[in-house]
Amino acid sequence: MEEYAREPCPWRIVDDCGGAFTMGAIGGGIFQAIKGFRNSPVGVNHRLRGSLTAIKTRAPQLGGSFAVWGGLFSMIDCSMVRMRGKEDPWNSITSGALTGAILAARNGPVAMVGSAAMGGILLALIEGAGILLTRFASTQFANGPQFSDDPSQLPPAPSPSPFGDYRQYQ
Amino acid sequence: MLPASLARAGQRGEWVRAALGRRLLAPHGWALLQTGPGPGPCCRLGLRWRHQIHCKEPALLLQAARRSIRTQAGGLRAEKPSGDTSKHVSMQRAEKGEAVLSAAQRVKDAGRDFTYFIVVLVGIGVTGGLFYVIFKELFSSSSPSKIYGDALEKCRSHPEIIGVFGESIKGYGEATRRGRRQLVSHIEYVKDGLKHMRLKFYIEGSESGKRGTVHVEVKENPERGGFEVRYIFVDVDTYPRRTIIIEDNR
Repeated sequence: MEEYAREPCPWRIVDDCGGAFTMGAIGGGIFQAIKGFRNSPVGVNHRLRGSLTAIKTRAPQLGGSFAVWGGLFSMIDCSMVRMRGKEDPWNSITSGALTGAILAARNGPVAMVGSAAMGGILLALIEGAGILLTRFASTQFANGPQFSDDPSQLPPAPSPSPFGDYRQYQ
Repeated sequence: MLPASLARAGQRGEWVRAALGRRLLAPHGWALLQTGPGPGPCCRLGLRWRHQIHCKEPALLLQAARRSIRTQAGGLRAEKPSGDTSKHVSMQRAEKGEAVLSAAQRVKDAGRDFTYFIVVLVGIGVTGGLFYVIFKELFSSSSPSKIYGDALEKCRSHPEIIGVFGESIKGYGEATRRGRRQLVSHIEYVKDGLKHMRLKFYIEGSESGKRGTVHVEVKENPERGGFEVRYIFVDVDTYPRRTIIIEDNR
């Protein structure tokens, strides 16, 4: 059905980095626009200019730190995929915790542990949300067509179960 | 300035009255009262307070002087909202909040607290639900990702799979738009009162360009609980197509 054109892994790092930067920049832009608007002197002109200044100074910073997080996370995730040879939710939870730990490394071991716990919990929540989403999507799909209760169309003969019965189509 | 202070003085009529009593005893108040009877000061005061029109009658003089004092006191108080006056005001407000406005205010506070409580409760519920889902997925032996892991181990140790795909088999599930492939597509159904689950995931090895689709079906074991494998087979998706049966317990 779908074509897996290429291995996602090394390229996903760039992808995640850019996506995280965009997310941080847009979210930070909205946040800083409101904050700058409220913290400026009275007058629409001042307020607009204040919010623009706040966006210009702060939003790229936030985007940058998001990008660092996303890039490091994705790098660790890809390394774990490579090492374990398996893609499952453990990868992203572990790499979230590791990312948190590495980025807090200059604040000492206690901060590292706390940050790692935060990262792991956050990624676990995100994974849980993803699992829930796919489950809802698939339950809607599963109730529709009652699929055949025969095992599967191609391979095994029904009852005798001959091992090694593989056919080679030229 | 003065009407505003008057209005405020009117609002805080109680303490103005209380302050007036003290003011009247104070030397300044006495001086004002004493200068009151003359037409000049009265008219000056009347000019300052524009609403006061009758300052000619001597019987009203005292009253007028008193009123002017009151307004002056109110104005002074309003102009200097520092020191003990602010304490007075805040104290009175606190008193009011407890005593006078209590019915409406209490309902409002209770409503707000209840809303916050509901919001917090919903947040805790959502977080707990997500944690439940992820922990069940990660640790339960009947979760799709656990079955996927076991089936992948069986694939890895099967000699025919290694022969076709090469060493270092890796498995992954359905790819999402963001390049995450860690969720395995699965379907659960009930047949003959027993829960069944079918999974599908993909494997690749060191042989480049070879990809296989692994089909797994597990069946609930009523005696021991948990799932046991019904069959595992691998379809080789690339050109020399074939099917490798790894396990068939039907």
